[in-house]
Amino acid sequence: MINIEKIQNRQPFITETEAGVFLVKLKKEFYEQEAVMQASYKFTNTCFIKIDAMEEGYVGIWFKAKLELHVDPELLLCEFCNEVLDQQVRLDLEKRYGTIRDSIYQFAFAPIKDRIEDLDG
Amino acid sequence: MMRNEYSILPFTFKRLPHRKMLMVNQSGEFIFVSSNDFNDLLNNDLSAGSPTYFELKGKHFLADTDLDIAQEMVATQLRSRKSFLRHFSSLHMIVVTARCNFICDYCHASSAALEQQRVDMNWKVAKKTVDLIFSSPSPVLKIEFQGGEPLLNWPIIKEIFHYGTFLNRFAKRQLEFVICTNLTLLTEEMIDFIKEHKIAISTSLDGPKLIQDLHRKTREGYSGYDVFHSNLQRLRERIGHDGASALLTITKTNLSKLQEVIDHYVELGFDGVFLRALNPYGFARQNMEQLGYSVEAFVSEYKNILQYLIELNLQGIPFAEYYTTLLLQRIFTPFSTGFVDLQSPSGAAISGVIYDYNGEVYPTDEARMLARTGDKHFRMGHVLRNNYEEVFGGSLVKELVKKSCIEVLPGCASCVYQAYCGVDPIRNYVETKDIVGHRPSSDFCKKNTMILDHLFQLIDENDPDVIDVFWSWITRRPLEEIRHDKFSRNSP
Repeated sequence: MINIEKIQNRQPFITETEAGVFLVKLKKEFYEQEAVMQASYKFTNTCFIKIDAMEEGYVGIWFKAKLELHVDPELLLCEFCNEVLDQQVRLDLEKRYGTIRDSIYQFAFAPIKDRIEDLDG
Repeated sequence: MMRNEYSILPFTFKRLPHRKMLMVNQSGEFIFVSSNDFNDLLNNDLSAGSPTYFELKGKHFLADTDLDIAQEMVATQLRSRKSFLRHFSSLHMIVVTARCNFICDYCHASSAALEQQRVDMNWKVAKKTVDLIFSSPSPVLKIEFQGGEPLLNWPIIKEIFHYGTFLNRFAKRQLEFVICTNLTLLTEEMIDFIKEHKIAISTSLDGPKLIQDLHRKTREGYSGYDVFHSNLQRLRERIGHDGASALLTITKTNLSKLQEVIDHYVELGFDGVFLRALNPYGFARQNMEQLGYSVEAFVSEYKNILQYLIELNLQGIPFAEYYTTLLLQRIFTPFSTGFVDLQSPSGAAISGVIYDYNGEVYPTDEARMLARTGDKHFRMGHVLRNNYEEVFGGSLVKELVKKSCIEVLPGCASCVYQAYCGVDPIRNYVETKDIVGHRPSSDFCKKNTMILDHLFQLIDENDPDVIDVFWSWITRRPLEEIRHDKFSRNSP
């Protein structure tokens, strides 16, 4: 059984709300819905997941293991937190440089004659 | 602090142990950087004079004064990677009969008994099939004869060959033929024909006699291996040593004996093997308990055997693993490798297609097998009732393409290995009843991720011996030549 007290002391963002149900609370100021959704998707094989609004400015992600976990829940949920962070980094990059990706695809799939015209200016 | 002026080009990334990051850009170029450099890059704090800055710039992860050129370079490489799209419908597999003289435990196609001649393709269907094939716009047309055991319907193979060759006098495509056979029914007349028309042969070899005969059983109970072995020698004496290649199917039986299997391939003079994991179709699905294994067990053995193959090559025995070679080609070169199972959009239907003996058209052999079990979800049409546009431009093919672009699939869109991997919508459907599938529970995803993790670990370790062997596989050149070239380049 997971030592919640230990976790709460070390990782205050993870709590066990009832037996076998864990909550990760994230600040909306730092994490967007898309990042939370994409990170959560990666854990849908091992856990049932519920995402819901919490008090002002927070989103809660509840996890319940589908079967007996073969990894420490603490480790699993810490990995989730890193995953949300990485997904948010991807979203931030997308906002800053997403148009570059679009123009790369446009150029790559343009008919050859259009490309030659582009290169000729 | 003043921020450096540069633009970041699109890339995916993954955290590695020891505070290291793997980054891969859209054209498939990769780089390992420290977490600190990664953070500096994102915060526009990377020092413009640092080696990491130059490497990131050189590999098109960032651009400063030359953003337009960098975008064009990445776009050109991306275009090369996707060039398989220009060969729309180039691989055409024809099931000339569903009969087979073998009844293998893992057969995808659930073969029919020898006397059931109603499951042979007739000339009417065969002719329309070839007509449909020549409606393809692809400059390359590869016709692969499959079964059952295709040699059981030898007359139709010859008819298709002659008719296809006749049509090609006007169509002028690069036309190739392959027969996928267990070799046991090979006659002198067949060998003459194969030799005269330079038809390639693909066969199956699971290992030495005991292993081969265990799951590849003949209907009449004789040892298939003995006949296979003597016919392989006979064929090679006539058409040359490289005329026949072999496919390995890995079951629980030979998974733990792969070294023995490889030794047997070497003994028989093959120069490579494709380590093909068992797929959950047909008899293999029914017999999974007896034949199957976990992805973890497969990858564990894969790692062991890869090390063994590297050592064999270093000892002067050139022998490649083709799946690894395919992935390495994608990692180290910008070229399209055109492997149906690892394409985005998936190669199902748009690169390869299969015509059943009765004229029904399916995107893959696995889709045909599903139909055999009663699920005709992937039936693209019928050669006697539909024209090329209806078969290849129908709603099914559009759905397959739309829902098999790795760049936008959930779980794949942000994956660091996106540039090297692909989508198997048929397998997704088999596993989840949805062609988009569910990546977190997908064995296909798990297997490819674990294999690519291992390959990138080896690349990061940068052992010159290992990298030289990899390059000899990628370029299909002898190891000594690779090393000689490297030595020459490094000499003053």
